[in-house]
Amino acid sequence: MSQANQALVSSPSVAVHFDHSHRLYEPQDRLAIRYSIDGIENNERIRAVELSMLWYTEGKGEEDLGVHFFERITDRERLPPTVTIGSFVSQLPLSPLSYEGLIVKVRWCVRVRIFFAGGRDFVSEHVFELGEIPPAHTPSGDPAKLSA
Amino acid sequence: MKTFTHPPQTASVPPKAAPLASHRIPVNPFSTRFTRPGQIASLNCGGHFLNPNDLIERLQFLGGTAVIQGPHGSGKTTLLTHLSQELANRGDLAACVRLRSSGDASVVFRSIAGSRPGTTLCLDSWEQAGLLLGKLVRLATTLRRCGLLVTCHRPSGMPVLMQCETSPLLLKSIVEQLPDHQQIRSSLIHEADVQDAFLKCGGNIRESLYDLYDRFEQRVRPHSNARP
Repeated sequence: MSQANQALVSSPSVAVHFDHSHRLYEPQDRLAIRYSIDGIENNERIRAVELSMLWYTEGKGEEDLGVHFFERITDRERLPPTVTIGSFVSQLPLSPLSYEGLIVKVRWCVRVRIFFAGGRDFVSEHVFELGEIPPAHTPSGDPAKLSA
Repeated sequence: MKTFTHPPQTASVPPKAAPLASHRIPVNPFSTRFTRPGQIASLNCGGHFLNPNDLIERLQFLGGTAVIQGPHGSGKTTLLTHLSQELANRGDLAACVRLRSSGDASVVFRSIAGSRPGTTLCLDSWEQAGLLLGKLVRLATTLRRCGLLVTCHRPSGMPVLMQCETSPLLLKSIVEQLPDHQQIRSSLIHEADVQDAFLKCGGNIRESLYDLYDRFEQRVRPHSNARP
């Protein structure tokens, strides 16, 4: 159990288990996830849990994202503390592939979002990789030259 | 034009820096994802937190219409985002709109038309409105009995809610808010980098964070001359 037992407000922890070692997947692979949610206080009711699989860009500029899988669970019988574990399966698309660029990166992740009845929410992200594009190399030399 | 969306939560927990999927490059804490307005708390140039409640009280004292003023990259949009979130939590936000040009007039007037008296319209980049649109917006909000809170680089004729200024201490305090900052400072980005980025970017915090982003990338990646 988590150390949140003595707190009035839950400090959830979400563990996600991927079915591929090193979280490496190829395009159109089947991805199977098992998750568990811990640290929910009995006095704090959960309104919904959202499970999603998505890609997003990360870097210096505007950001973008695309949701590939989404499920919202609102049935109390399927929510913590009644049910604290779950799973889902989805087939991955052909693209975009994970990429570690200098200015922009493409990341895939499984996101578990917990909505509490009081209005706050908790987000837990678990990154995996789609494809095996090697990371971009930086030009050698002065780091300051990069920022042009 | 971009309309900000505000989540209904009052205490959302932002995701931490995403963990590494495998052996890849560490997550860059200077990415927009962690530094964009709303992700980091608003601070003054002394590095102290700005309390949104105090500023909203001051906005009311000023009659509900005011400007957040300051140069590029001084935290105006960040502060506006925090204040608009606080107004939204109170049910007092008419809309929060980022102006790109005077062509966004229709969105602004639709927001005013759909607003309740007593709410506040937040507009980012007020100078984009131009003289005529600016006057019309002020007239429309007055007629609608709405407040108006804008960001602007120059004096706009409105009372100043906050004059945003920057300092090396402010940049240092922002860096300390970023995910895993202890690790960043000790191993990859040093305090001297923060000072240097601030000076190099002329005190522009946004540009300084971009500069630190580049330094981080440079230090965590293989160099092209090391390519097999």
